[in-house]
Amino acid sequence: MVITVILIPIIAGILVPALPFRKRWLKEVFLETAVVVNSILVWYLLLHHSDSTFLLAHFTGNLNISFHVDGMSMVFAGLVSFLWPFATLYAFEYMTKENHENVFFLFYTLTYGVTLGIAFAANLLTMYFFYELLTLVTVPLVMHTLTREAVLASRKYFYYSLGGAAFAFIGLIMIIVYGSTTAFIPGGVLDVDKIGEQTNILLLVYVMAFMGFGVKAAVCPFNSWLPQAGVAPTPVTALLHAVAVVKSGAFAIIRLTYYSFGADFLRGTWAQTVVMGIVMFTTVYGCSRAVKETHIKRRLAYSTISNLSYILFGVTIMTPLGLVGALSHLVFHAFMKISSFFCAGAVMHQTRRHYVHELNGLGYKMPCVFGIFTVSSLALMGVPGLAGFISKWNLATAAAASGTPLAWGGIACLLVSALLTAIYMLGMVVRAFFPGKDFDYDTVADAEDPGWKMLLPLFVFTVFIVLFGLRSQPLVNFFYDVAGGIL
Amino acid sequence: MYLILLSVFFPILSGLFLLIRYRMPLAKEKKNTDRKTLLTLTGCFLVITVLLCAAARSTAGNSFTLFYLTKTLPICFKIDEVGVLFSLLSSVVLPCAGFFSFEYMKHEEREGRYYGYYMIMFGVLNGLCFAGNLITFYLFFELLTLSSMPLVLHNGSREAIMAGLKYLFYSLCGAYGALYGIYFVCQNSDTLAFTAGGILKTSSVSQHGEFLLFTAFVMILGFGVKAGMFPMHAWLPTAHPVAPAPASAVLSAVIVKAGVLAICRIVYYVFGTGFLNDTWVQTVWIILTLVTVFMGSMLAYREPVLKKRLAYSTVSQISYILFGLAVMDADSLTGSLLHVLAHGFIKATLFLCAGAIIYKTGKTRVDELRGIGKEMPLTMWCYTFVSLGLIGIPPTGGFISKWYLSVGSLKSGLPIFSVLGPVILLISALLTAGYLLPLTINGFFPGADYDYTKLQKQEPCKLMTVPILFMTVLSLLIGLFPDAVTDYLANIVSAVL
Repeated sequence: MVITVILIPIIAGILVPALPFRKRWLKEVFLETAVVVNSILVWYLLLHHSDSTFLLAHFTGNLNISFHVDGMSMVFAGLVSFLWPFATLYAFEYMTKENHENVFFLFYTLTYGVTLGIAFAANLLTMYFFYELLTLVTVPLVMHTLTREAVLASRKYFYYSLGGAAFAFIGLIMIIVYGSTTAFIPGGVLDVDKIGEQTNILLLVYVMAFMGFGVKAAVCPFNSWLPQAGVAPTPVTALLHAVAVVKSGAFAIIRLTYYSFGADFLRGTWAQTVVMGIVMFTTVYGCSRAVKETHIKRRLAYSTISNLSYILFGVTIMTPLGLVGALSHLVFHAFMKISSFFCAGAVMHQTRRHYVHELNGLGYKMPCVFGIFTVSSLALMGVPGLAGFISKWNLATAAAASGTPLAWGGIACLLVSALLTAIYMLGMVVRAFFPGKDFDYDTVADAEDPGWKMLLPLFVFTVFIVLFGLRSQPLVNFFYDVAGGIL
Repeated sequence: MYLILLSVFFPILSGLFLLIRYRMPLAKEKKNTDRKTLLTLTGCFLVITVLLCAAARSTAGNSFTLFYLTKTLPICFKIDEVGVLFSLLSSVVLPCAGFFSFEYMKHEEREGRYYGYYMIMFGVLNGLCFAGNLITFYLFFELLTLSSMPLVLHNGSREAIMAGLKYLFYSLCGAYGALYGIYFVCQNSDTLAFTAGGILKTSSVSQHGEFLLFTAFVMILGFGVKAGMFPMHAWLPTAHPVAPAPASAVLSAVIVKAGVLAICRIVYYVFGTGFLNDTWVQTVWIILTLVTVFMGSMLAYREPVLKKRLAYSTVSQISYILFGLAVMDADSLTGSLLHVLAHGFIKATLFLCAGAIIYKTGKTRVDELRGIGKEMPLTMWCYTFVSLGLIGIPPTGGFISKWYLSVGSLKSGLPIFSVLGPVILLISALLTAGYLLPLTINGFFPGADYDYTKLQKQEPCKLMTVPILFMTVLSLLIGLFPDAVTDYLANIVSAVL
């Protein structure tokens, strides 16, 4: 069953250029059906999962490729499979103005399968395998426009990711040597007898592996690939560079911290201090760069850098509460950021405007897009009643309860970054709605809201942002179960 | 329960309705008829809201939980005495300034947007007054910033937009500081509901006492931004004067009071005076308020533009209130809360007078206004009366509140500040006279060389004068019959101290 949901998108993707579609809408129907069916299958699997592990291939010793469904996989796979059909729908309309559609949809759909592979991986080796694969299938998407800028960006992305994976590989080796198994077990797999005097070495390796996986999660100083990769078409930046790819990095770090090394082993050590310090710095750094940036998508990319570090901040608190905070932000941020990216994409698609100062007065011409953009901005800032407030609340209360003074400083970082978020997001909203009295409305006369394929995903995401903000309890309870190791 | 909800959500929804219905500028050809319907609608909404507020206030003690954001975060409302006091202020000033705008905004663009945000702000203010716990309060505090920002940048000039953004970011900065404290309060207490005397757990106080003091200080500073407390006051003299005059009246008289209400809530209903009395937090806080009182008056004294002068005056006067809160004495607290009302009515009147002058003559600087008393006698008489109130000359409201403030300070027995406080208040009162009265003097006694032949009567129409007159009378009544208010305040004071 698990292998089916991984394979369906891969096969469907390969079929896109292979099958001779006469009309464009046939191709759309085919792709959308494949993606929706796959998502339904994933949700069926999540709701009726068994605890058994599915073994695909066995190498030497305890190395094998195998899959299982546990709490963490449910969170990540559930999130990805919910967002993918909507993002595909959006892409149909967006890609009408771009070239090489077939290649795009081939890799776009492939990525779905690979991401699910990461989510369902039952051990470090399997996750590592799919993690590398993810890099390979997403490089063509970044390169899509084939401009010089895009080629450079994809090259950078490729080298960064491979380099990061190499460091993560060291972590894998250490787990093989010092752990009882490579499988993911809540609480970690390190074997106390084998460690002996080697604690510090292991901590050093943890920091290296953290930074290695952290490359995909855009931890400072390995973040510069993400804003550059914004040259990709918006469906890619929105879904992959705000959710699937970058959150694979965060997901891998969660697996590494809570399921391989074990939070108990790491809590209170210098390694925790180091990674928490780096993450705190990244939250503020990302936001400050976003304030300075004038290109809309790059600004949002910097915002992603900062928000990913919120998630990692929750991870580095190394308590179950911290994990709850991390998971809530992992899910909620996905909705907020994909929504704001899609709005930016809609503006670019409808008006060919790419810079913040070109947004003046568009609010009245594109009320739906900018209304939704406002909601997602407020949510990112953390206004109560919207999703962002709840995840920040969970993160901050976890940090306050942890009793670590550094974590208390981390809350201050979160709030500073919230203020900066307000500056760079509301700056755009104010421009769009209050252009000033000398503004000439003729310059935006041709702008209008996009079609239903773009608006429907936006409306759905907005509904969920509000819903999470008002009624998040069932979901957060589920996160508590996941963090407690029950699921 | 339904009354509270209605008083909060009816104005918000009606505001949204106005925003959507009148999102485009009114068309030139049928501007008159359209404008008439807009004003009629707004007028009805205002009156209904005031009635709903009054009805909600009459159910004092009523409280209920609307729903839970998470297990520990209920959104709940409660009507208590402090809330009633602040809601009384807003439900007098907002309709008065609202009716005043009907005339004042005649020549402005995009009136629909203005009234839309105005109504939303009204609802949010009610929510703020009736909030039953810290998280509900924070929710409405954020919304208040967001809904009042469009009023600041309404006229759309570059200066106004920059002022609006400055206001927005200062306020958010303060709100996030406060949120930092809320996280820790939540950690160290069993509930977030406002309870007279504080909600901290005794075990936490002994364990994390020092750190909790720090968070209390951060919260006071954070909410103090909205109240224009030094060192985060700079937004106020920028943002208040650029708004249309009735909006500045509301901002200066009511919105800054949201900061006062916030500080009142966290000091007396969250941390408790027992925890904060005689700590470094109190000392530093008193110093900040006294610095603000003096600095505000001084800056107002040297400011030539009338509306800016009034804005600086607000900076100074709000810190009178904060000073009273910081002293934590029964009398000073009474004085503070009384000054909330007195200053609210007085400052709204002053701004409306300034607005009437600008509307009729287009003059903004004080030195241009020679002989204005001859041209607009009624307006200037009102201006003079409330000025006397702000200076603190008996028998006006300002005198009573300052009397209580000084007596409380002297009784409190704080080292240095028990005496220094009243001294600075008096110096500032002198400066207040210095910056308010020249307008009256030059206005009514323009001097021998004044050319009376050019004089023409410019009294504005009833829509403008009646609100001004009404609030002047109210501010005088507080001074003449203070017992009615102080008796009511005694309930609050005895509960929290």
